Amino acid sequence: MLYVQVLVNGLLLGGLYACIAAGFSLVWGVLNVINILHGSFVVLGAYLAFFAYTALGIHPYLFAPIAALVLFGLGYAIQYTVVNRVIEAPVLVTMTATFGLALLLDNIMLVAFKADFRKINLVPPLGVVDVGKLVPGLNVVVPVDRLASMLFALLFVALLYLLLRRTAVGRAIVAVRMDRYAATLMGVDPTVIFALTFGIGAALAGAAGALLSPIFPISPLAATSYLGKAFVTCVLGGLGSVSGVLVGGLLLGVLESFGAIFLGPEHALTLSFSVLIIFLLFRPSGLMGKRGFV
Amino acid sequence: MRFLRPRVGAMLRSQPHRRRMLALALAALGLFLASHVQAENSAIRIGAPLPLTGALSPEGLKLQQGYELWKDVVNAAGGINVGGTKRLVEIVYYDYQSATPKAVQLAEKLATDDKVDFMFSPFGSGATKAASTVSERYGIPTIAPTASSAEVYDQGYKNLFGTFTDNSTLSEPMTDIAKAKAPKVQRIAILARNDLYPLALGQEFEKSGKKRGFEIVYFGKYAINTLDHASALTEIKGANPDWIVATGYINDMILIRKQMADLGAKAQVVTMINAPAYQEFIDATGPLAENVTSATWWHPAEHYQSKDAFGSTEHYTELFQNKFKSLPDFTNATGSASGVVLQMAIEKAGSTDRAKVREALAAGGFDTFFGPLSFNAAGQATSYVPPVFQIQRGKAVVIYPDAIKAGDLQLGVQ
Repeated sequence: MLYVQVLVNGLLLGGLYACIAAGFSLVWGVLNVINILHGSFVVLGAYLAFFAYTALGIHPYLFAPIAALVLFGLGYAIQYTVVNRVIEAPVLVTMTATFGLALLLDNIMLVAFKADFRKINLVPPLGVVDVGKLVPGLNVVVPVDRLASMLFALLFVALLYLLLRRTAVGRAIVAVRMDRYAATLMGVDPTVIFALTFGIGAALAGAAGALLSPIFPISPLAATSYLGKAFVTCVLGGLGSVSGVLVGGLLLGVLESFGAIFLGPEHALTLSFSVLIIFLLFRPSGLMGKRGFV
Repeated sequence: MRFLRPRVGAMLRSQPHRRRMLALALAALGLFLASHVQAENSAIRIGAPLPLTGALSPEGLKLQQGYELWKDVVNAAGGINVGGTKRLVEIVYYDYQSATPKAVQLAEKLATDDKVDFMFSPFGSGATKAASTVSERYGIPTIAPTASSAEVYDQGYKNLFGTFTDNSTLSEPMTDIAKAKAPKVQRIAILARNDLYPLALGQEFEKSGKKRGFEIVYFGKYAINTLDHASALTEIKGANPDWIVATGYINDMILIRKQMADLGAKAQVVTMINAPAYQEFIDATGPLAENVTSATWWHPAEHYQSKDAFGSTEHYTELFQNKFKSLPDFTNATGSASGVVLQMAIEKAGSTDRAKVREALAAGGFDTFFGPLSFNAAGQATSYVPPVFQIQRGKAVVIYPDAIKAGDLQLGVQ
């Protein structure tokens, strides 16, 4: 029974990781920008949700679209004014640019919101689903907030898939990723597409932040942890693939959960990082990676 | 005397190298006098490397508040009385970004570049131990505000003085209370952060528990920056403990408490150290904080009358609230206490001479708002009993020692 609960824990954790990584994967896959700002965007989304809940009583799940909208604006502006200037440069340059911006944003948040750890305490709490009551003999519990975040992650991925496959903007994004100059010849303005993509990535981060605000302690310092998870999720799942985020996130979550059981909690990451190294050596494109973002 | 002048002048003219020598000597004397005069009236400089950014910044900023309050109170009274002359206090801060190697570098810079008179250690046992080598090398008396692990003080250093008593002084009273007040509690599960202080503390609980006949049914270590404790807590739940002990920093404790509720890991007694001493833990966990016990080196509910700059625990708490609009916690207080104890040692020595101040510190006997402070031969405080408290109806209530207790241990944590 222990292992069933651990598997459930891992899948739920993986859902959170997928939620965190969706926007990061989009920006990396389409713009070829390793967006170090991503973790800070997640934290900013969480702070916005925290203040919306404590000051105005807006439930973080209802607030998620608003956080997404605000972060979209910020992401669009940052890409248009800063990152676009170096978008042609090698990946290390854009990474350094976003790294600098991340330091800036983290420290602005540190000054504005202080270093105190906060968390939303939903009243009433969402509680847990005791599976044992539904299926006699199966002694497994599922926290509702984590389950909800996982479902939202699925929704994000589905929406992203539809956006890229079914809309003109989405096709333009994929076209720019495949061949920027051919896309330009077809009348697509890459500058706008880049800014849109970066904005959508930031919006996904903002929504993820709002969803995570009742689960994780909120602090500017959490940004690097989120970024690290997003990075590993993308490498495992593969770049340029919407569903790769989900697969990578779930794989990472399950690996960490079982790693903690078999090797002890202090080595929970050992197993997942060993697998990461094996992937980088033998399957650098990840489980579902492909060129272009489809 | 007039007749001398031409003769001296002639002598100097005739011996140009001597004239240069004389000029040099005069200049040197001038410089010496100037620096001497300046040293008499200048501020006493204290170096303080702090983690103002990075993972430990909440604690770093709290410590800084403690230092600043002490400095302001002392300077408002004209400064520290050094053998009859009042000298102001100046604290030289550097941010070591929560990176211990950087803390050591900055301690070195404070000692050599800034030439500070005294030092406060960086945050936590690990960084304190690392930086104590610098203080020892340059012979700078250093107050360690937040190092409780005995391993910090086992190097035979003469310049390190810590305000925190040993980790065992937190685990021993707590296990005594559990033994006395909760006879049904027998099985302990311990989850400790794999980091010098939290791990040492977890091991102290293991020792104290075993000594009193408790059964340790789980002992797990989790890595720094762990984002998920579900597996460990699932195992703990399976081990069916009566008492869950978790050690780590505040973000770890908030997450662990939340995940305990998520997974239905319950116990008669839940002890978390030291996060519940902070109001932000209570705010961030809400109803989940209820009945969580903790122990800490200082609590605003204490009542010490003191002969220091603050006069009493109550007055300290009042001054802190006026300045920062929040209740002081033990990290704030130990920052101020570090200043207070250094000040009292300087005043007792009547000098800022490092050897004399070191002697005064080693002699101990300081009555402070933080409690009576004296140090053992290794330099660690041994002179007071840290209080145990429990969160009851959203407030920290002291349950030990009996002299200051405001309530009794309540059982059952959901």
